[in-house]
Amino acid sequence: MNTIFFSVLAIFSLFVFMNLGKIKASKKQTDRDDRINRFGSKKARGGQKKTHSTIIEGESEVIDDEDKK
Amino acid sequence: MSRHSAINRFGRSSNPAFSRGFEGHTESLPLSERMTLDGAVNKTGILLSLCFAGSAIGWNIPALMFPSAIVGFILAMVTIFRSKEKAGSTAPLYALSQGIFLGGITLMYENMFDGIAIQAIGLTFGILASLLVCYKSGLIKPTENFRLMIAAGIGGIFILYMVSFIMSFFGSGISLLSPTNGSLMSIGLSLGIVCFASLSLVLDFDFIEQGAEDGLPKYMEWYGAFSLMVTLIWLYLEILRLLSKMRSR
Repeated sequence: MNTIFFSVLAIFSLFVFMNLGKIKASKKQTDRDDRINRFGSKKARGGQKKTHSTIIEGESEVIDDEDKK
Repeated sequence: MSRHSAINRFGRSSNPAFSRGFEGHTESLPLSERMTLDGAVNKTGILLSLCFAGSAIGWNIPALMFPSAIVGFILAMVTIFRSKEKAGSTAPLYALSQGIFLGGITLMYENMFDGIAIQAIGLTFGILASLLVCYKSGLIKPTENFRLMIAAGIGGIFILYMVSFIMSFFGSGISLLSPTNGSLMSIGLSLGIVCFASLSLVLDFDFIEQGAEDGLPKYMEWYGAFSLMVTLIWLYLEILRLLSKMRSR
């Protein structure tokens, strides 16, 4: 009797796992700012996006001390 | 400066030591050579089937229990520290040998407490399924802090196991870990360990999901399946211990 129980439970569990496991995780899970970056992926993840660029675009200007006077 | 604001300002480190050696490597791989979610799930299914087959052997020949536990331990160490690339051959052998061990130990518990095996198997797969749903739906979100918390907890549990193991050579041990200790403190400890083992599953799911997204090499499917198996086996053993403590009350 035990063997039948174990076999049914094992097959059922495998079936459930195989079906659930193949579903892709929701966007709520995959598109997060605080996701663990395990493999040093270059793919832009929320946490890797720079919110503010430190580079100021535009032409550079020469500032002379004399201008200030 | 907080860590997150530092990341926002300077970006992530490009130090290759932090990238586990996969950066750049994956981009040159053809699509058929990359890890997929379906592949990892199928391989986990194969490992689970082998574990079930092994447990049937262990249930009928309990004498194989300890040799197979040692073989399984060696195979796990080889897979983790020596050759992730060969996980395709070591992981199935690991699942089979651990299955034999689990079959034997389950029979031992079953002889002490009738019906405990079916409860432990049901609970293990119940936890697996519910956490898988929680992970896929985004209800549980593994973050760096989450990983740190689990790592610290597992580190503590490992030290406890080691101390108990060393003490066993001198004829004593930590009574809180004994499966027949039905005190509230002992049950609480087991419950805590089961929680940590369960939450480790979430990290394994995340590892597989991210590995598939990043297109890691194909052999990582086996490695992901192997890591899930290690956690599942640990969880099952802890549930068996917890149930036997509760039955001993």
